Amino acid sequence: MATTTAAVTLTSDLLSAPMSISATTTCMKAGTTADGLDQMEYGYVDIASGTAYDIIGNTPTASKASKLYVKNHSTDETYYVSVVLDAQAIGKLYGGDWMFIPADFHDGNADIEITATGGTNKICYALFHEGTTLVAS
Amino acid sequence: MATTATINISSNIAPGFSGIQESMTLTQAGTITDIDSTTGLQIRKLSATGAVDLVTMANELVEPKDSVAAKMYIRNIGYKGVIDKSIGVTIGVNAEPIGKLYGGDWMMLPLTCIDADDVTANPETDDTVVLEYVLYYEEN
Repeated sequence: MATTTAAVTLTSDLLSAPMSISATTTCMKAGTTADGLDQMEYGYVDIASGTAYDIIGNTPTASKASKLYVKNHSTDETYYVSVVLDAQAIGKLYGGDWMFIPADFHDGNADIEITATGGTNKICYALFHEGTTLVAS
Repeated sequence: MATTATINISSNIAPGFSGIQESMTLTQAGTITDIDSTTGLQIRKLSATGAVDLVTMANELVEPKDSVAAKMYIRNIGYKGVIDKSIGVTIGVNAEPIGKLYGGDWMMLPLTCIDADDVTANPETDDTVVLEYVLYYEEN
């Protein structure tokens, strides 16, 4: 079985006692306990300021258990990308920030769209999924 | 006063893929100043289908600053120690579905914290499931 695991460690000293959370998940196909996600897309792109781009070219099958990782590798902390899903602004990834989300791709408009600000942002992404419709040449 | 998050992804899907190991320090927007506010770690038990707010932005005791560098961590921790990979909870922002967290799944997402952009959770079944979550933000 293809196996993909995603672990996170979150630590913070904002509270009176330090907080530390560690979690690991094995990324399975939607609703299953025995079959892991078995396809992936991994890339690194420079995105110039101003224009909105879909980060994923071939949208995976809708409403599955896809997982998406995106990191802004820009070294300038003032650079950022805005993340938008189906015209809904989600948030911003500044230089050095990453996100990891379950990506639903529930309809044709539900692509993950990013727009760079500040300069050319360097974006690394990885999508783990269970199928996509390839575009015939 | 630092808050850090480290991700480690391993996968044998693609030959030669060596995995991802990255860390970030949560900072205020456009600066290297550490982020300074949090809701603290919370849990929410859900036992019925239907969307509920995990965070109602307009009701936060301390108003988060809009459209900056907020981050939120959410995990489906199952119920009473039982984590069911077949039970999912759809997480959304302002009614827009982001994706479904199955048992044990977690997410880290940036947020606008605009009043309308509430973070919602919608279980796909009536089975009881618990979400743990924490929001880091800048005070307005």
